[in-house]
Amino acid sequence: MISTNFLAYRLATALIVLFGVSVLTFGLIYLTPGDPAETVLIQQTDQQPSQEAVDAFRAEHGLNDPIPLQYVDWVAGVFQGDIGQSYYSDRPVSEMIVQHAPATVELAVAAMVVALLIAIPTGVLSAIHRGERLDVACQLGALVGVSMPNFWLGYLLIIVFSLHLGLFPVSGSGGLENLVLPAVALGTGMAAIVTRLVRTAMLEELDRAYVDAVRSKGLGERIVIYKHALRNALIPVVTVVGLQFGFVLNGAVVIEIVFQRPGLGTLLVDAIFARDYPVVQGVVLVTAVAFVLTNLLVDLSYRYLDPRIRLGGVSA
Amino acid sequence: MTVASDPLLDVENLHTHFRTDEGTVRAVDGASFTVGEGEIVGIVGESGSGKSVTGRSIIGLESPGEIVEGSITFDGTELTDASPATRRRLRGTSISMVFQDPNTTLNPVFTVGEQIQESLKVHADPDRQRLLEYLGVPLFRSRSEWSGYRERAIELMEQVGIADPGDRIDDYPHEFSGGMRQRVMLAIALAAQPDLLIADEPTTALDTTTQAQILERLRELRETFGTAVLLITHDLGVVAETCDRVVVLYGGEVMEAGPTDRVLTEPSHPYTRGLLECLIEADDHGSRLSAIDGLVPDRFGSEPGCPFASRCDHAVDECRTVDPPVVDVGDDRRVACGELDRVRRRTESDDGETTVSGHASREGVVPRLLAFDGDGIDPDTDPHEHPVLELEGVSKTYDTTDSTLERLRSGRQLLRAVDGVDLAVEPGETVGIVGESGSGKSTIVRLLTGLEEPTDGEVRLDGTSVGSVDERTREQLADVGVVFQDARSSINPRLTVAEAIAEPLVEAGWDEDRRERRIEELLELVELAPEYAQRRPHQLSGGQLQRVAIARAIALEPRLLVLDEPVSGLDVSIRAKILNLLADMRDRLGLTTVVISHDLDVVTHLADRVLVTYLGRVVERGPAETLCDRPSHPYTKALYDAIPSVTGSETARALAGEIPSPVNRPGGCAFHTRCPMAEPECEAEDPAVTRVGEARSRCHFAESVAERSTTDSPDSESPDVPNSS
Ligand code: SF4
Ligand code: SF4
Repeated sequence: MISTNFLAYRLATALIVLFGVSVLTFGLIYLTPGDPAETVLIQQTDQQPSQEAVDAFRAEHGLNDPIPLQYVDWVAGVFQGDIGQSYYSDRPVSEMIVQHAPATVELAVAAMVVALLIAIPTGVLSAIHRGERLDVACQLGALVGVSMPNFWLGYLLIIVFSLHLGLFPVSGSGGLENLVLPAVALGTGMAAIVTRLVRTAMLEELDRAYVDAVRSKGLGERIVIYKHALRNALIPVVTVVGLQFGFVLNGAVVIEIVFQRPGLGTLLVDAIFARDYPVVQGVVLVTAVAFVLTNLLVDLSYRYLDPRIRLGGVSA
Repeated sequence: MTVASDPLLDVENLHTHFRTDEGTVRAVDGASFTVGEGEIVGIVGESGSGKSVTGRSIIGLESPGEIVEGSITFDGTELTDASPATRRRLRGTSISMVFQDPNTTLNPVFTVGEQIQESLKVHADPDRQRLLEYLGVPLFRSRSEWSGYRERAIELMEQVGIADPGDRIDDYPHEFSGGMRQRVMLAIALAAQPDLLIADEPTTALDTTTQAQILERLRELRETFGTAVLLITHDLGVVAETCDRVVVLYGGEVMEAGPTDRVLTEPSHPYTRGLLECLIEADDHGSRLSAIDGLVPDRFGSEPGCPFASRCDHAVDECRTVDPPVVDVGDDRRVACGELDRVRRRTESDDGETTVSGHASREGVVPRLLAFDGDGIDPDTDPHEHPVLELEGVSKTYDTTDSTLERLRSGRQLLRAVDGVDLAVEPGETVGIVGESGSGKSTIVRLLTGLEEPTDGEVRLDGTSVGSVDERTREQLADVGVVFQDARSSINPRLTVAEAIAEPLVEAGWDEDRRERRIEELLELVELAPEYAQRRPHQLSGGQLQRVAIARAIALEPRLLVLDEPVSGLDVSIRAKILNLLADMRDRLGLTTVVISHDLDVVTHLADRVLVTYLGRVVERGPAETLCDRPSHPYTKALYDAIPSVTGSETARALAGEIPSPVNRPGGCAFHTRCPMAEPECEAEDPAVTRVGEARSRCHFAESVAERSTTDSPDSESPDVPNSS
């Protein structure tokens, strides 16, 4: 049902985006002051390395080559499925990512679920009771949610629910109890954005002519709203939520540090401080790929939700 | 049809108001009428007369408006104070509604089957509506129950005239044409097996041929199920076709009510008279139409008096201070006018004058057959004289194949929107192009104006070949003025009237002084007061906006004026005024005009010569009068037959079927799938162009069609449509 033209077009744009991202990270890394060889050796041996050791390290990791050549080498590696090795452990970066990614994805997905669970009912209620007190309250709540930085909310949740009430563990990962607070911390901001979106989309839908037509069939208001209007309102919502997934991943990095959860975020931050460039490169690349893929999925689901697009929609 | 002592629906002194920023508008202001069982009653009036609000009040839709007074009794139940649950139950089981625009009243994300089945479910069990069941969650939806609904839905689709309902039930609304969508709406309404069907302008958005089909369904419905219909419309022809009784609404009050044939043949109320006089009659070609002065006023506050007083020619002081009495004039007719006797006397003595007005047939323009104007048949004119506009063998093909894969699999899908059209328009002439939607006429507009380039053939202005807009010189651009369909969407809502008119002038490099003078001139020309210059589109009525669009189109004194559906969507009285304005301007400025419309009445009224298009081809062309009196192509004849006539002497005849998709154009004569006169050879052989008198027709049997058209006098009733009433 999906036209091949569409897929080819999307793949081409995806490749361009990935190319841009990789060039940028590569460039940025080599613009940052400090020699990775020195930093890494100091960390490993705890003393100022000798010039020979530094030279040997540079030679081994190809750091003496001109930067464009290093980039080409790296890209060539990527195409062979090798995204490099950590300067420290000599473990393949891919292995490290595979090990850390599930925790991050888990957090991001949980956060999205929290966001949707809060946003859809709130947005719908807000729209139905437009201008009433309930609506004002929901909108105020959304405003607070949007303006609260997620790391701050994270600490707040830790203080209240972990330290005072002792309901959830402060940090760590594994069980569901470890997931709740980080997911809420991360999902709240998004819930606020999506609430507003659901509200606007619902108000727009409730104004459309088909809503009255559906009412005139004798359907109850609940079905008019939750079947007919909501289904249409979800079309724009899905797009935005999907686009937000990339940002949720970014947010996950911060939240992982707040809650000291192992994940891509902690991996990336550690690697940056340790000048472990292959790992930084690898994580950025993988996140970018994830970003591009979610966008593609969003487009596809959009097509599913809106039959007019699904079928290429031209009729007289 | 006799009305039982207790009517099915009894609306008494209904007042529905709605609040706007400017104050409370009294949309319905004391309307009373009844609908008997199995009766078809029409409510007519211009936009703003309160007719839609009346319908919505009956079915209990809250927006817009609130019932503040009066009563609506349906089958013994008082609706105005019924509980929401009662009203919902009635909606699901006894009263249904069909709305004006089927493009927006079907939910785009559900299949038509789902939407019909849902109504069947409501009808079966109106009080128990479980969300999860309606959402289609498998465990909550009983398979056997819903598959029964599915079968019934297919039956309903068949009943309303949707071909292959079994294949189409899982299609989405956007996969249907406008007419088919309206049938789906009708199927949804019928699912409730209603006793009363409220149809709010059900055919306004449709082609005349489709309109006739839908009206036929409504009449059938009454015959088969005894369903009463309340038909809300602005079109008196539709009323004449369909309704037993008519209620004329103005300012939210009933002006006149009575049996349709009586009211339409001998209107008593000045407003009813006015409405009828605005209509284009068959022999009106080129004459001036009468119109009702002024606009429907919004009614704020509670001024007493006759609502029509501000526009009534017969108004006296008393009309403005005292509510007019409702006079029973016999024959079950009621008229709300206090001056009936005077009105009657005055109009009788006036009659002599009003009928002779106008009818000045356009002199100096004699429709002729021209060199390129027809498929290579003997030209009547000197081929060296340059027409203003020429199309020679113009075709436009779109590639609708949407993927490479599809292209490999099944080859390209080509949509022939326009196929080999020849046309030459002489200076001062008005040529009309008519056809159903999908006939290619809007593509022709785009080709004339350079918004599209022909795939084949040539468009010439004054003998010079012209390309797309980007390739045309400034002079060539200025030479063509266009009034686009739907002024509301073609004029930038943020500009003032003056700015909108100035746009083409600015583009042509006029300085400010000159622009200002021209704008003044133009406003005068289109009969808009100078103070309108500073208003914005949302402050203007549809008719006023259309005047602005016309002013803009003629701003640069074009040699050719293209009018695309110039009066569609306008009320009759406004339509009459715009048509008069267009005719005046054309004659005064000597404009050469091409007018495109789906409305044969409008085209024949304005044009000297008419082209009838079907699936991108011209099937008949000739002088307007010839086509009207003696059509020689079955399609032209069908278009004329589908126009509902107010005099009601002849029932409008529907043209069967739908215009096929131009992608799969039928072989042989493309019209054979719908042609009532088709013979086997029509399917095999594409007919050549035949000359029949002044006209030329692309039909194997052109001569005999023309002969039949002349013998088919108005008194021969079509045998298959039973005469209602
Ligand atoms: S009451 Fe007066 S203003 Fe109203 S229609 Fe009759 S004559 Fe005209
Ligand atoms: S050629 Fe045949 S099918 Fe075509 S219009 Fe004439 S009679 Fe009808």
